[in-house]
Amino acid sequence: MAQSGKGRLNYRCPSCFMRDIDMDMFYDKDRDEYYCLRCQYRGNEADVLEKNELARFRYRAMYERFTFED
Amino acid sequence: MKDQFIVNIIHRPEMVPEYAEKVTGHGKEEDLGRKALLKESLDIFKTQQALAHKYGLKTTIQMTYASLFNAEAVELAKQHHAEFGDEIGLSLLGLPCEQFRQKYKTKDFCIWMFSMEDKKAIVHDVFEKFHEAFGFYPESTGSYYMDADLINYIKAEYPAVKCAVATCWEEGPKAYHTCNNSWYTFMDGGPWAPWIPSKANTHAPAANENEDSGIVAIPHLSRDLLACYDGNGSNFGTHPQNVLRGMIYDTKTWEYPYLYNLIDQYRSLARYNDGCAYNMMFVGPGWMNKMGRWEQPYELLYKSYEDGCAYYGKLKKAGKLIDMTMSEFADWYRAKKSYTTPECALWRDILYGSDKQLFWYCDPYLRACVNMDQGGAIVDLRPYAAKLEWPVGIGTPHVQDASYPFLIQEKYRAGYFTHYAGEGTVRSAKICRNGEEVDLCLCRTKARFHREGTDRILTLDPVDVVFSDGVTVKLQTVFTFAEGSSSIRIDRRILSMSDPDAEVTVKEYMVACYGTTEYTEDMSSLTLHIEAGETDSVTIPYEYKCREAAVPGAEEVSCTIPPIKTRVSMLANGRNKIGFVREGYAFSPMFTLGYERNLKDKEVFTTWLNLERAD
Repeated sequence: MAQSGKGRLNYRCPSCFMRDIDMDMFYDKDRDEYYCLRCQYRGNEADVLEKNELARFRYRAMYERFTFED
Repeated sequence: MKDQFIVNIIHRPEMVPEYAEKVTGHGKEEDLGRKALLKESLDIFKTQQALAHKYGLKTTIQMTYASLFNAEAVELAKQHHAEFGDEIGLSLLGLPCEQFRQKYKTKDFCIWMFSMEDKKAIVHDVFEKFHEAFGFYPESTGSYYMDADLINYIKAEYPAVKCAVATCWEEGPKAYHTCNNSWYTFMDGGPWAPWIPSKANTHAPAANENEDSGIVAIPHLSRDLLACYDGNGSNFGTHPQNVLRGMIYDTKTWEYPYLYNLIDQYRSLARYNDGCAYNMMFVGPGWMNKMGRWEQPYELLYKSYEDGCAYYGKLKKAGKLIDMTMSEFADWYRAKKSYTTPECALWRDILYGSDKQLFWYCDPYLRACVNMDQGGAIVDLRPYAAKLEWPVGIGTPHVQDASYPFLIQEKYRAGYFTHYAGEGTVRSAKICRNGEEVDLCLCRTKARFHREGTDRILTLDPVDVVFSDGVTVKLQTVFTFAEGSSSIRIDRRILSMSDPDAEVTVKEYMVACYGTTEYTEDMSSLTLHIEAGETDSVTIPYEYKCREAAVPGAEEVSCTIPPIKTRVSMLANGRNKIGFVREGYAFSPMFTLGYERNLKDKEVFTTWLNLERAD
């Protein structure tokens, strides 16, 4: 099995992101999956993107535009 | 007076961006002179400059040491100064390059972490190289952090310097954790808006001319005063790619209203600060490299930077923003502010939809955060009154830790909620009746700000405290920050009681300790004291013995904290007051100061929290 490298984009671990840790993942091309060196997360690109959407759950006002008048 | 919203846009031609070599160079041996890297770095600088100019914004070009060896970068700076009025300043970021490595034989790159001897040598090298390239010395400089000794040295040797990027707001243990415990920027506890640093400690603003370091400091980025306090600071600032780092954007439309909300909330702070508001955008080139940055492709990085510039440009066009260079800003700031002018921010959540509200206050004597979601509890307190000398860098007791120590920090020391034992740091009050206790930390409310003379006043909406015997107390809290007083006055007023003859006991308390990180410090040099005259005064040297004392009519309760040269005390009004102190114990290494008093309908309990230096 060849060594892992960086993928097309430099994805972070979605599981670590949810606990406020920016952890770059490495890409295993034999398995077509990204994996985290710190925790047990692994998944393909589609799974990473899906989990990244989940990570946004806390930003409830992310799409709102506020005004700051008194 | 018309509000003024100032922005500083800063760019640095960093020939070896901190992130680019590590990210784009993955799988290759390190080579700081790699041609592709140098070319890409300069291209990013050109792109950033072009975008700012496209939207009619002038910039401050902070030359890095590496860029001073690059004739094209120097020429570009000269051209843009002549054509657009951009200021040519000098950054102490971006030190790494072949010349630097050969001379200093180290991979260190954060100026505040070097030994004082090296700091002096580096400053000399960099400033003289700048002079060689441009024929004058810079008026602005900066880094992520500039320790007081460094600022004092620069000001003494290069008096033309009048402005510096001097801290990243609340970048400390949280940023360290976010970076997998590998990013050593510990600089919590400073101002979030421009200030004049004292000669003794960069974070603590100067109280007078004697303390004035001679520069105006600006923070690195204008950061979200709620999100950054709880989370990773590097996700929530006026740095478009930081917002992307936080994944605070729509992946389908590539829109990020949060960035504009953040800028607008900063604009709104003019109403608390005599019509003055400030923003800065300082994106290092590593954030716009062609390989993309984390999940974001280059196109999105580029778009976000253009959108940021476009928004500032739009505000400028509408007469709602003034773009300045750093040195212009320093002059403007000195003309507008006195030493004791505080900075105030009644900040609302613009990201999580929680409706939470915080009030931040900063002056030469203290920085405090009042949390309306906890009934107006003080959840962060920094005793700037001590003007604590805190040398930073190799050869000092604090090689990396540049944070200003706290007395209260609810995230690092629990705050109201602890896990079944002990106490966390917070300044709150308990309303008590017949053995029941209701802590105001559990009474969520909102606040309004107004000014009376030199007092900044925060008036909280009344809260209802309901007891099991049916008695309901409507209570209002008012904070008064008297300019230059080193004191916080808190009034608790009983507006009404369901039973007008009922009585409640109000226990004002402050649980505190000291530290700069999440981990406890040695408390054994602290001393608790109740001042009550010759016969009734009590002194407790801190020995983790869980002792308590209370004295009716006490004149003052206090704690002296030698490691941070601070004395904190409380005073109270009223004849039937009782002052108390509590020593902590090993599992709860805190101390408590407080006063209690019985109150009836319409009565007010006033206490003062005072901070001073203790040598």
